[in-house]
Amino acid sequence: MKRVAITGAGVITSFGDSPAKFHSALCNGERAAYRLDHSEAGVSVCRQGGHIGSFEPEQYLKGKPLRPLDRTGRMVAATAKLALENSGWTVEMLRGHDVGLVLGTMFGSVHTISEFDRRGLTEGPSYVSPMDFANTVLNAAAGQTAIWHNLRAINSTIACGATSGLMALGYAADLIRYGSHTALLAGGADEFCFESFCGFDQAGLLCRCNGHSEFPIPFSAQRSGFALGEGAGLLMLEEWNAAVERGASILGEIRGHGSAYDPAGNVECGTETITRAMNSALHDSGILSAEIGCISASGNGSVAADRNEAVAIHAAFNGSGDAVPVTAIKSMVGEALGASGALQAVDLLQTMQTGVLPGIRGLEQPGPEIPALNLCRDKQEITAGFGLINSVGFDGNACSLVIAGASPGL
Amino acid sequence: MTTRPAIAVTGLGMVTSIGTGREEFWNALLAGKCGFGPVRSFNTSGYSVHLGAEILDFDPRTHVARLNPSMIGRSSQLAIAAARLALADASMDLGTIDRSRAGVCVGTTSGEPHFIERFDDRYVQGEMARAGDGFIRGYPCHVVPGHVAAELEFAGETMMIPTACAAGNYAIAHASDVLRAGRADIMLAGGADCFSRITYTGFARLGAIAPELCQPFDRNRKGMVPGEGAAFLLLERKDEAMARGARIYCEIAGYGLSCDAHHMTAAHPRGEGASRAMAMALKQSGMAAEDVDYISAHGTGTPTNDRLETIAVKKTFGDLAYKVPISSVKSMLGHTMGAASAIEAAVCALAITHQQIPPTMNLHEQDPECDLDFVPNQARKCNVKVAMNNAYAFGGNNSSLVFTASAA
Repeated sequence: MKRVAITGAGVITSFGDSPAKFHSALCNGERAAYRLDHSEAGVSVCRQGGHIGSFEPEQYLKGKPLRPLDRTGRMVAATAKLALENSGWTVEMLRGHDVGLVLGTMFGSVHTISEFDRRGLTEGPSYVSPMDFANTVLNAAAGQTAIWHNLRAINSTIACGATSGLMALGYAADLIRYGSHTALLAGGADEFCFESFCGFDQAGLLCRCNGHSEFPIPFSAQRSGFALGEGAGLLMLEEWNAAVERGASILGEIRGHGSAYDPAGNVECGTETITRAMNSALHDSGILSAEIGCISASGNGSVAADRNEAVAIHAAFNGSGDAVPVTAIKSMVGEALGASGALQAVDLLQTMQTGVLPGIRGLEQPGPEIPALNLCRDKQEITAGFGLINSVGFDGNACSLVIAGASPGL
Repeated sequence: MTTRPAIAVTGLGMVTSIGTGREEFWNALLAGKCGFGPVRSFNTSGYSVHLGAEILDFDPRTHVARLNPSMIGRSSQLAIAAARLALADASMDLGTIDRSRAGVCVGTTSGEPHFIERFDDRYVQGEMARAGDGFIRGYPCHVVPGHVAAELEFAGETMMIPTACAAGNYAIAHASDVLRAGRADIMLAGGADCFSRITYTGFARLGAIAPELCQPFDRNRKGMVPGEGAAFLLLERKDEAMARGARIYCEIAGYGLSCDAHHMTAAHPRGEGASRAMAMALKQSGMAAEDVDYISAHGTGTPTNDRLETIAVKKTFGDLAYKVPISSVKSMLGHTMGAASAIEAAVCALAITHQQIPPTMNLHEQDPECDLDFVPNQARKCNVKVAMNNAYAFGGNNSSLVFTASAA
């Protein structure tokens, strides 16, 4: 089995467009969430959300017309550019080598799909745009990004709800570990849009839909739901020896991953399933839970999912869960769906590199049903060789991934 | 991989416009049955085309037992039916398996499009406030593998790979990797797509829908016919399948996946990416071009696809391209989108099992630019030990799977 080196990362987030800026904003406890007033089609809601107001695709994507790409496509293509640059892949190198892309997403662009359909309904089927139709497929962002950057190896899209980004990283890692791929961009993306916002809102899943906290506070006694966020994150994964050979700087390593499904779920993911995903990731990595130096939890403020994850962490760490520092960056980023797992991975790499783990913003009193864990209320200095990332979906999916940082031992 | 376990196909289940279940489907294919008719699921009076390949006699209540069929979308219903048929076909006793090591991997183009279509109906009527939680519970495409797993109480990896019209092949390729890596003991791998207004509108706008007939590789072909369906293959590691005395249809020898990085909706003019995928699949399978006895074509029936697909096969196979029989079952059951390559994978398994190749129907006057052996209008008995399944998709996605007869 081959090893998977992480040689670069790119992000587009409401906190900026570099892993360092992203991490530093999280360590400073900044919050992407701001008040959103949405009035459309007879729906009027006002909630916290994490829209990237400042995203200007022209800043990253130059020299070709942007019109064929929808907003999600632009976010992913821009993020890919940043990750390619960050890992030292030039246009010339991409000409001579087949690089692939594995993108996790929950919705693709449900906004593009819905607008296309509505135009057909209101103006008639002959008035829809063929260019828009190309973006209604769920793999549109991955396809557009491949065209933009000339990525000719595997081009896969992974949809597993909120666990999509982490599942995509695991999928890509296995293609390198067991297959013949040597360089893959992998991660996830989802945009904030009316359609998904309206859906989550009407399902009562957003904070303050049915509780008291206006903000998403993972594991808190006050939690009442999540805030919808958005973003994109991609890691450049390379076969270890190939990365060393080309002189790439290695930021870390994907050591292993695991996933599980709760067939009783469809509404929430049970504790046993989340524990199983974590244990399977640890087993796949060949390391013990005691070697994990920090945990990036999926916790997003959801009432049931946060409790189940906390109980699962406690179980997977044999009661020693209160020793490992746990953060939950969705307290600041919001629930970025397909992007979440990838953004957690980018931040955990930064954490291991800088030795500072961001805190869980707003957390004062954990809920009474949350077992004893080392939940970081404020940023904390840590030394960690290995970090564990969790993704827990709304509907039965759980995924965990273990990464090693570029610590001296690596 | 150093020790690369062989992956066996031990069960086949499908729901299509020409037949449900392995036997009915295979007999319909050999008989050249076509599943086309005027679209019934929505009003096409505003369209210039009206042809579709819908499944008319599907009653989810005969297949969906544990979940409530009225709470899940039609793609999930079709998928559950195909999954149950595949398990029954494999004589798999669910009581004997470790559910935490049983997974589901599905490919799709649109997931559960009816939910967003109803959302849009409400939107244009200004009734969004009444939408409720049905949309978020029913729409996201990953609910399809989730519903299959929930119905069967599978607790291993569930994944949706929505790589459009090549998605079934991507799902099967990934499921075989999951088994090879030892992450699961059995995998249901396939594809599902229900008939979608959005998809139909888009292809109609592209002028890609045939008005009367789907006739791949014919000089007068006028397009594809959108359809719906689902298919699953039950995959196991071969040694374990043999140990339980399972019937083995064939093995998945390898796959190739590539991207044109050229155009969102048009294939590469020289078949570059498609040819690369075929070559990768052959290499991973340890096969040479001359070993291939049958190619199940993407063969949509659009003027461009069939011409460029012919070029890609020639680029890969050289002079051998003229010797290998190629057929497109889309000539009979239409283009079932994300389900298509999963259904066609089942066709490859059945061709190997029965030593027979289904025809390309409605092929009356062969296009001189498509001058290969497309098995016109008549099923053919011949030696099939190795079959290749090709599928292409929006986004420039290319996929090839290689199936081989299983030596005992």
